[in-house]
Amino acid sequence: MTKDQETELLDRFSLAVFLEAVRCLDENVSTAKEIDIAMRAGAGLPEGPLGHADKLGLDKVLARLQALQAQYGERFQPPERLLALVAAGRTGVEAGRGFLDY
Amino acid sequence: MYVFKAAVLGAGTMGAEIAQVISLSGLPVVLKDVDPAQLERGMEHIRDIYARRVQRGRISEHDAQDRIALVTPQLDYQGFSDVDLVIEAVPEKLELKQAVLGEVEGHVAKTALLATNTSALPVTEVGAKLHKPQRLVGMHFFFPASVMKLVEVIAGAQTEDEAVDSAVEFVEGIRRIGVRVRECPGFLVNRILMAGLAEVFRAEQDLGLGPKEIDAAVAASRLAPMGPYALADALGLDIAQDVSETLKAAYGERFDLGTRITALIAEGKRGAKTGAGFYTYTG
Ligand SMILES: NC(=O)c1ccc[n+]([C@@H]2O[C@H](COP(=O)([O-])OP(=O)(O)OC[C@H]3O[C@@H](n4cnc5c(N)ncnc54)[C@H](O)[C@@H]3O)[C@@H](O)[C@H]2O)c1
Repeated sequence: MTKDQETELLDRFSLAVFLEAVRCLDENVSTAKEIDIAMRAGAGLPEGPLGHADKLGLDKVLARLQALQAQYGERFQPPERLLALVAAGRTGVEAGRGFLDY
Repeated sequence: MYVFKAAVLGAGTMGAEIAQVISLSGLPVVLKDVDPAQLERGMEHIRDIYARRVQRGRISEHDAQDRIALVTPQLDYQGFSDVDLVIEAVPEKLELKQAVLGEVEGHVAKTALLATNTSALPVTEVGAKLHKPQRLVGMHFFFPASVMKLVEVIAGAQTEDEAVDSAVEFVEGIRRIGVRVRECPGFLVNRILMAGLAEVFRAEQDLGLGPKEIDAAVAASRLAPMGPYALADALGLDIAQDVSETLKAAYGERFDLGTRITALIAEGKRGAKTGAGFYTYTG
């Protein structure tokens, strides 16, 4: 596996998980905090998908989604909620706020 | 409502472990099955879990025996009149769950809380035949329940708030993490996880990679505790396929797992439990 392939593989996995987590949030299936708790305690993920995105920086997550959307289509379309957070400067851990508060 | 005594219906893979978790917290629990051999197997499994805890110094032999004695295996409804909570863990068939819960409703107090451990059936439908569907919640434990800390607590359309609150309280009382989840296909964790799994299966095709190297890369990245192919094998490929079909019907093609898994299942390779899936298992 080349380095590029590895990057693409891992991004596609973690972003598919992230996007589904955002859909759950949009549908009020649970809260951001509880979604992250559930994915750690129920799926054994070291970090919840929303907190993980906050840590990467939501502006970077958005850019990566746009690139994947161009390549693979609408399943990687950035969610409205992400666009709104980035527009409001709530780009994650570094900004002090993102999906979660820091 | 406080739970002083619980009952678990079905002493299989999940039921036995759930009864073990309840007994460990010091609560008496009736473990009921319809098959004496399964009931004995379930009790054996509970004794094994405790034996391992004793070995690891987590609990004394004496305390382990006390906790095991809290589990009452039985084939009938004796003593159900003072059971406060019944957790149903019979096979994943809607009609069976409806029938079993309907039956137990006649043996417990009107105030008793009923719970279903269904992985994917709508709680609302599981409760559709009950006299008091407002007392039914989804209480979704994860495999293996003796280890996994999460329990999704799901309200059906008719479930009353007090039932959900009591369920969450109970879950915390048995030292688990209870997360409230709005009813939707796949609930929360399986839905999110399957989205990732399906995307990896597509990446395998697009990038021309193999399961082994993908699992190694995912595990090394520390994004997940194990690679997706090892996970699917552990889950059972037939079960993974069933869940994906449910999710696909509800949300669309992003949950499609591709044709390779179907081919493996057709060859009888249903994962670790059959000795082969994406990987081959010996011994
Ligand atoms: N196995 C998993 O990983 C897992 C994880 C989460 C949830 N679940 C859900 O838990 C439930 C049980 O699954 P399982 O894997 O433990 O199944 P299983 O087949 O291992 O056990 C089911 C048990 O129920 C018993 N049973 C059948 N009819 C009964 C009845 N009328 N009254 C009492 N007992 C009866 C069977 O004899 C058997 O012992 C299913 O709804 C499943 O979807 C399973």
